[in-house]
Amino acid sequence: MRAVLALALKDVRLLLRDRPSAFSTFAFPLAIALFFGYVFGGTTAAPMRVLVACEDRSAAAERFLRAVADDPSLDPLAVADRAAGEREVRAGRAAALVVVPDGFGSAADAAMRGGTARLEAVVDPSRRAEGAMLVGKLHEIAFDAVFASLPEPRWRPVEVSLAEVATGPGAGGFGISFMQGVAWALFGAVTAFASGFAEERERGTLVRLVTSPMRPWQMLLGKGLACAGTCMATQWLLLGTGAAFFGVSIARPAEALAATSANAFAFTGVMMVLAAAFRTQGAAHGAGRAVLLVLTMIGGGTVPLVFMPPFLQAASDASPFKWAVLAVEGATWRAWPMAELWLPLTVLCGIGVAGFAAGAFLLRRTVLAR
Amino acid sequence: MIRVSDIRRSFGALRALDGATFEARPGEVLGLLGPNGAGKSTLIAVCTGQLVPDAGTVDIMGLGSPLRPEVRRIIGIAPQQIALHDDLTARENLVFLGRIHGVREPVRRADELLARVGLLPRARDRVKSFSGGMQRRLNLAGALVHDPQAVFLDEPTAGVDPQSRTAILDAVRDLAEHGRTVVYTTHYMEEAERICSRIAVIDHGRVLAAGTAAELAATHAPDAAGAPGTLESAFLALTGRSLRD
Repeated sequence: MRAVLALALKDVRLLLRDRPSAFSTFAFPLAIALFFGYVFGGTTAAPMRVLVACEDRSAAAERFLRAVADDPSLDPLAVADRAAGEREVRAGRAAALVVVPDGFGSAADAAMRGGTARLEAVVDPSRRAEGAMLVGKLHEIAFDAVFASLPEPRWRPVEVSLAEVATGPGAGGFGISFMQGVAWALFGAVTAFASGFAEERERGTLVRLVTSPMRPWQMLLGKGLACAGTCMATQWLLLGTGAAFFGVSIARPAEALAATSANAFAFTGVMMVLAAAFRTQGAAHGAGRAVLLVLTMIGGGTVPLVFMPPFLQAASDASPFKWAVLAVEGATWRAWPMAELWLPLTVLCGIGVAGFAAGAFLLRRTVLAR
Repeated sequence: MIRVSDIRRSFGALRALDGATFEARPGEVLGLLGPNGAGKSTLIAVCTGQLVPDAGTVDIMGLGSPLRPEVRRIIGIAPQQIALHDDLTARENLVFLGRIHGVREPVRRADELLARVGLLPRARDRVKSFSGGMQRRLNLAGALVHDPQAVFLDEPTAGVDPQSRTAILDAVRDLAEHGRTVVYTTHYMEEAERICSRIAVIDHGRVLAAGTAAELAATHAPDAAGAPGTLESAFLALTGRSLRD
């Protein structure tokens, strides 16, 4: 066991001394988590910046503008005219421009007699989804503003109530992005160790191992221990940082430990296969990284799965990163009961066993006494 | 004693070893001399348990095959390639090797070896800052960290300066004087004559002749008058003059 530990510690020490590998294993996932956390709105969703060009001087238009200003989901800014607003949207400085056209007030006054009060919105093409949300919001605000003069109770043909499903604490933007960061942490650890193994093979240091009294399973155990330990360390560094500074909740530490352990086991198996498949450091760095990058992306490492088309969502089942993210989400903010957490944990353990078996088989044929 | 009998090993259609046989005794440095592609490195790989032979046997010090971990405990190897971790220090490299071989006091042993190869003052420096000669000396120390009975050195002086070469050869001679069995591959005739007790000339995966340098020169390269030639002429007489890839 002393030899196994010595091998594992040596591999971890080499990883820490290789700055690019250490960066991609420990710092890069944190950067990704912070970046996407802010993209997703951090812990609270930021109001949407909209520009407002008012061409109508009626009381109804004034009521509408006040209601827009009072709405917590919008951050309006008045512009001189439509052209100035469009320039700002085109420059990307606001999500949309809302125009209150001339005649809005008189049309609103006639609304109860079958007239239609029109509003116009111009949206940045890259923010269409927010545009759809804005249309709904403007309907709601305009309805309230136009009918504000009517006696109570106000007439509402349809009322929609919105509530979020019950989850654990910490389900904000950082709660989601730090779990995505876990995928990148595992990516970094796996590529670093697979490429380290290839380097050992290329540089001849593997000969020292093969000619030592260590048995093949001890060598694989030592290599696996180093990778699994690093996977655990980088996942908990992320979760710990998220919990300490960004409102990520680890309310159920036992489930979180189970999820991170399953991830470490699965991705050590993945590392074994890559180590066996890629014989040179260049191949491990290039092809190995490319394969994992694709799996990370379709597994939800960059764009959350919900935004993917159905065929990509189906394909993501083949990515171990999807199950890794699901497991840590389930164990944290999704607050899945153990019965639901079993599925990703079982899949991850299956990946680990298959990876170890395939990797050991291939390594015995290519590296160990053959 | 290292006993290698009728070893055969092919890689696909290529027959790398074709009945190689030799013996090396304790206290002896056996030189394996052969042209490029003769099978020297493959033979070392078989003798150290890196490769399984298709046929034939290897017995190390009467304990059997090097494929057994207990036998590998008494084998040391300095591969032809510098097999060290660049980002570890000299001491860390040797301590790691000591630990995987089960050495009891790996740090003390590492420092002892560093002193022997003249690298103790650089013990805390990373290997990547070392010159070629220093790396070769450390590569040799790596083979000796567990005080092996049988030592295999695959061209341990390739590309080093005369100072490092002398230090390495002194260390090899010292090993033999302490009763270790050393198998030493080299291209340098002068080096083989200088430190090898006996020399086995190998080509096409077979040992063509074995004996002391003087015996080989007398048997395989006598001049017209029957006087012994040189080791180099004996080598060329045995292996031919055709260029090798």
